[in-house]
Amino acid sequence: MSALIEAQGLQKTFRARGRLVHAVNDVSLAVAPGEALGIVGESGCGKTTTARMLLRLEDPSAGRILFDGADITSLRGAALRPFRARAQLVFQNPFDALNPRFTIRRSLAEPLRNFGIPEAEHAARIDAVLNRVRLTPPEAWLDRRPHELSGGQLQRVVLARALIPGPSLIVADEPVSMLDVSVRAGILNLLREARDALGLAAIYISHDLALIRYVCERTLVMYLGRVVEEGPTTELIANPAHPYTRALVAAVPVPRVEQDRAALPIRGALSDAPPTGIGCAFRDRCPHAFARCADETPVARSLGGGRAVACHLGEAA
Amino acid sequence: MSLLSVRSLRVTYASRSGPVRAVDGMDLEVPAGSITGLVGESGCGKSTLGRALMGVLPDAGRIAGGQVVFEGQDLIPLSESARRAIRWRRMSFIPQTAMNALDPVQRLRGQMLEVLIERGGFSRDRALVRAAELFRMVGLDPVRLADYPHQFSGGMRQRASIALALALEPALVIADEPVTALDVIVQRQVLDVLRELQARLNLAMILVTHDMAVVAYACDRVAVMYAGQVVESGPVEAVLERPLHPYTMGLTHAFPDVHGGSEALVPIEGAPPSLLHPPTGCRFAARCPFAQPRCHAEPPASRALGADHLVACWRAEEAPELRALAATPATWAAA
Repeated sequence: MSALIEAQGLQKTFRARGRLVHAVNDVSLAVAPGEALGIVGESGCGKTTTARMLLRLEDPSAGRILFDGADITSLRGAALRPFRARAQLVFQNPFDALNPRFTIRRSLAEPLRNFGIPEAEHAARIDAVLNRVRLTPPEAWLDRRPHELSGGQLQRVVLARALIPGPSLIVADEPVSMLDVSVRAGILNLLREARDALGLAAIYISHDLALIRYVCERTLVMYLGRVVEEGPTTELIANPAHPYTRALVAAVPVPRVEQDRAALPIRGALSDAPPTGIGCAFRDRCPHAFARCADETPVARSLGGGRAVACHLGEAA
Repeated sequence: MSLLSVRSLRVTYASRSGPVRAVDGMDLEVPAGSITGLVGESGCGKSTLGRALMGVLPDAGRIAGGQVVFEGQDLIPLSESARRAIRWRRMSFIPQTAMNALDPVQRLRGQMLEVLIERGGFSRDRALVRAAELFRMVGLDPVRLADYPHQFSGGMRQRASIALALALEPALVIADEPVTALDVIVQRQVLDVLRELQARLNLAMILVTHDMAVVAYACDRVAVMYAGQVVESGPVEAVLERPLHPYTMGLTHAFPDVHGGSEALVPIEGAPPSLLHPPTGCRFAARCPFAQPRCHAEPPASRALGADHLVACWRAEEAPELRALAATPATWAAA
């Protein structure tokens, strides 16, 4: 199947204290229509910057972005509008995503107006989307303002606002991290339902592998700007190929008394300045690093079954 | 005997609409040398409790009743200077963001010396030795004592605030969401530092968190809070594996498990009640799929059911059957 959105060799570099920093370094990915892809990694790994470039909210320093086969990398202004209607961002913080003075009706009508949907269709579309996010009956919610809603209800409105233009792709950056635990499951379930019902593709950005596992069939793991591993989520978690993925999986606490409390398979103090230039960026923290890891930057190689890893371990010499 | 006994504690915040009962009749026992998880959602009173224990409530907050018995002494009637003598020395605090504990314009060494010398009566020479020792203890290089907090990563700052909290060898450390702001690997490393030091120094610790998985990983005991009260408490194993309160049952199914099956998560629909005018009966009744008329009319008292396992629910005897029902989303959807 051809990709809905595709990135080829995305780069984002900026200068900090006279040094060139690669926030995103040669990231390529593709998401098929209806597919959910997770991008997982810690702060500073480049996952949010990657998502922002995919949505054309930030310009890449190099690389291309294709949407439905068309190159959108250098489109600007009005030329981007059709893309904007089809690729929507779900905001992380529902408490500041909505204008506090607007009613829910107005917050939802605004994107419709922006994308030139005829006024006559607004009421029906707003009703339908509120039903979809289970704010029912819609008339009970339309005239409320954000301060009258709980965090979970606000996040439903935020999701409704992303869905209302009828996108083919939604990008959600930590969609439930600001919410209370008891209501997170409701939002995650809604995201899954909306995807199934509307055939949406989705990209989820999170540091939480457990959450990614719940909503994404395929996952990319990023470390310091690069994709170090990718594959079907359940296999990647059950049998991680990259030493960083292994540490990441081992670090996730589970809500059970019986669990692995052994020291994490990762080295290095938290303060360590990461290695730059040639070589594997993870080598200073990797328990398996050897000479080649400093001499040569590992490139992604296929492991079969949709899996790939960028690591010298297990490579043919 | 417990190191700390909280009995019928009530804390209110003044608001324009009247007093908000943030902690409303709370009981908690913290044995010496154990980590007690205090788990609940935003607004349940868990952070307020931590502040009340430390005697550092914000201006609008006040203790409206109850006792906080620590090392055999009720802290509530004590003067501010008597509280100050306990703070840091017998009981200390680790906040969620280390930036709140650390002074951004002072080097770490200065901050450590301030606590050691002014609060602990150390000489300057001994304080310098102790500061280095504390840094090593939490896995930081003592040369970094010369740094300012902004030169540290989030995990390093949290380690520094742990070092500060342990400086005077307190008996009890209250950590308020100490790893929430951290990435998962750093989170695990900081939890491991806390666990190791707790065991080595035989500390008691209250770990305030919203995350059941953090409780499962790090705590010996747990108290589950809802709307200003403890609804269930006991050893972690009992509470997580055989929860007696429907809210606890709900929480255990509300989390994705990284190694779990593909079964659907179960949301707890609705929101906690207003603490301005809390309901007369059980505070969870409005969201509880198992609520009966009595639950709405009368508040359930906390009672022991099983060894050391306390619960405030009228239907706790039926817990085994309710647990099976609580595992399915349909049960909660109907609430």
